[in-house]
Amino acid sequence: MSSRPKVVLLRPATRGEPQRDAAPEATPRREGLLVALARALEAGRHGLGWENVADLWSAAYFSWHSEDVDEFGRDARFIETIRPLLEFLYTVWWRVEPAGVENVPAEGPALVVANHSGVLPWDGVMITLALRHEHPARRECRMLVLDMFALLPFLAPTLARSGAVRASQENGERLLRQGELVGVFPEGVKGVGKRYRDRYKLARFGRGGFVRLALRTSAPIVPCAVVGAEEIHPVLAKADWVGRPFGLPYFPITPSFPLLGPLGVVPLPTKWSIDFSDPIPTAGYGPEAAEDPILVNRLSEQVRSVIQRMIDGRLARRRSVWFG
Amino acid sequence: MGRIALTGTASLLGGRLLRRLAETKGPDRLLVVDVAPPPAALAVRHRAVDLTAPAADQRLLDVLREEQVESVLHFAFFTSPRRDTVYTHELESIGTLAVLAAAAAAGVGRVVMRSFTAVYGARGQNPAFLTEDRPLQPDPATAWARDKLEAEQHAASFSRRYPDLKVAVLRFAPLIGPGVHTFYTRILDRRVVPLLMGYDPLVQMLHPDDALGAAEAAVDRPVAGPFNVVPLRPIPLLTALHLAGKIPLPVPHPLAYPAVDLMWAAGVGEAPGRFCDYVRFPFVADGERARRELGFSARHASRDALLAYIGYRHPQARARAAEAPA
Repeated sequence: MSSRPKVVLLRPATRGEPQRDAAPEATPRREGLLVALARALEAGRHGLGWENVADLWSAAYFSWHSEDVDEFGRDARFIETIRPLLEFLYTVWWRVEPAGVENVPAEGPALVVANHSGVLPWDGVMITLALRHEHPARRECRMLVLDMFALLPFLAPTLARSGAVRASQENGERLLRQGELVGVFPEGVKGVGKRYRDRYKLARFGRGGFVRLALRTSAPIVPCAVVGAEEIHPVLAKADWVGRPFGLPYFPITPSFPLLGPLGVVPLPTKWSIDFSDPIPTAGYGPEAAEDPILVNRLSEQVRSVIQRMIDGRLARRRSVWFG
Repeated sequence: MGRIALTGTASLLGGRLLRRLAETKGPDRLLVVDVAPPPAALAVRHRAVDLTAPAADQRLLDVLREEQVESVLHFAFFTSPRRDTVYTHELESIGTLAVLAAAAAAGVGRVVMRSFTAVYGARGQNPAFLTEDRPLQPDPATAWARDKLEAEQHAASFSRRYPDLKVAVLRFAPLIGPGVHTFYTRILDRRVVPLLMGYDPLVQMLHPDDALGAAEAAVDRPVAGPFNVVPLRPIPLLTALHLAGKIPLPVPHPLAYPAVDLMWAAGVGEAPGRFCDYVRFPFVADGERARRELGFSARHASRDALLAYIGYRHPQARARAAEAPA
């Protein structure tokens, strides 16, 4: 026992390549998992110790997580890790067709307001990708996600690592004041969990919280319409009582879920389009206008009707759910 | 110039503050008000006052008057939960009441009090950064947090009733770094560290040097009200464990709460089950007010504080930890 040599890790080799998704906290790469494995095996000839297990585990962990995250928990390397999967979904699975991306301001704060659908927040992920890859300034959109997603075990840390932030006035205001691009779904749970027969009918836009957010920070509002996400998990019925003990706000029954078990979370390969309309400026009203409920409601309805019009236009031109 | 009285000088922060002030202000200006005497080498005056004794406020008032005290630094709080909740309550809640009452009656200009960001309560609904105006909502069933909450409430109420008494409350994020020994560092000292399955909140870890810097700044500035004292950046809990070279053991949370409670009741645990909330939900605080009004900003990120602790506690075990932060 006492003769067991301790494995002392050397300073990890840093690869010079700059990260494509350069966040301020992007940390240099540690030595890879294979190197750690080789070291553990080398040491393991004398018997594998706790240190080796911990080293291996941490090498595995840091092979796809950064050592440092931004103040909201966004992890640059984690985003890099899941990028291939998300790009596959974007280009192959859903063949997302963005339009009007240049309507999103190239710099400064702005609030992207979109319709919410599809049971799981894939629409937010695809809006983020559209702006990251197709916008001339490659803008990084921080999605504000529902409490339910931000609190669910496993999903919550994943969303936080990929840059999403729990939806609240404080968080949204902080992001916008830092000049970030922020995305919101004012329909909230009423939108994302609606039945298939209610598809593309916008639910009530909360209580106008997103308008107050934009007014307070003088951020322009960019209405955004996502078409195609409603059909990825067609909700035939809801059995909310099943999910309640697990803290789920709804429990959808789709053709594949829960019938096919884990396979049921594979979304259907519909054809998507994401439209961004002209920004609606809010700077002219002044921050105190956030306390005017009539104005807030009017702006909220204006945004809602713009989005509904964009959706209706797309639907009228769409021939097939699968091919657009 | 009057004296500066300190309580809780046996704690890490109180003790280090005493040493620092003895250097900067000179030992003659300091007075230790505690049951335990300070180290003789410091040559600081000591008056034994037991804050849990009946009529502690009267005794303290006499001491403050006789020694011509102008500020009181109140650091007599327990960082770790204790099984003796009666004594803890007497010291933290009632003891703070005695300190504030005596300070107000003696005409002491200011009180600097230690508090904890954990008093905000770890909740899923918390914003990413808690500001000082956020209501304090710790779990009412946790005696540890309840006593701190009551101390804060006494401070707020005295500030209202005695406008001349400037009470600054420093809400420190959890301390980690050289010299820190608490219930969470004892958990962190193990090889295998349990955590809740599927939860990975951002946590703040404050380097004791930063905490000391904030306390020093508060001694010299006539500020009042609560101040969050926080590190530069939070860190995800799981990342922290892996940085420290620990093996995380994920436990489903419906199982963890009763299991931790059982261990606490059996005398082997470090904290009651309700403390699982603090590794489940975030309680990250915003340090903007301290930056603006105290002129304090931390020099260490949470990651640096953690690595400093690992380097101090397990220097030989982790070559990685000793490595200077990038």
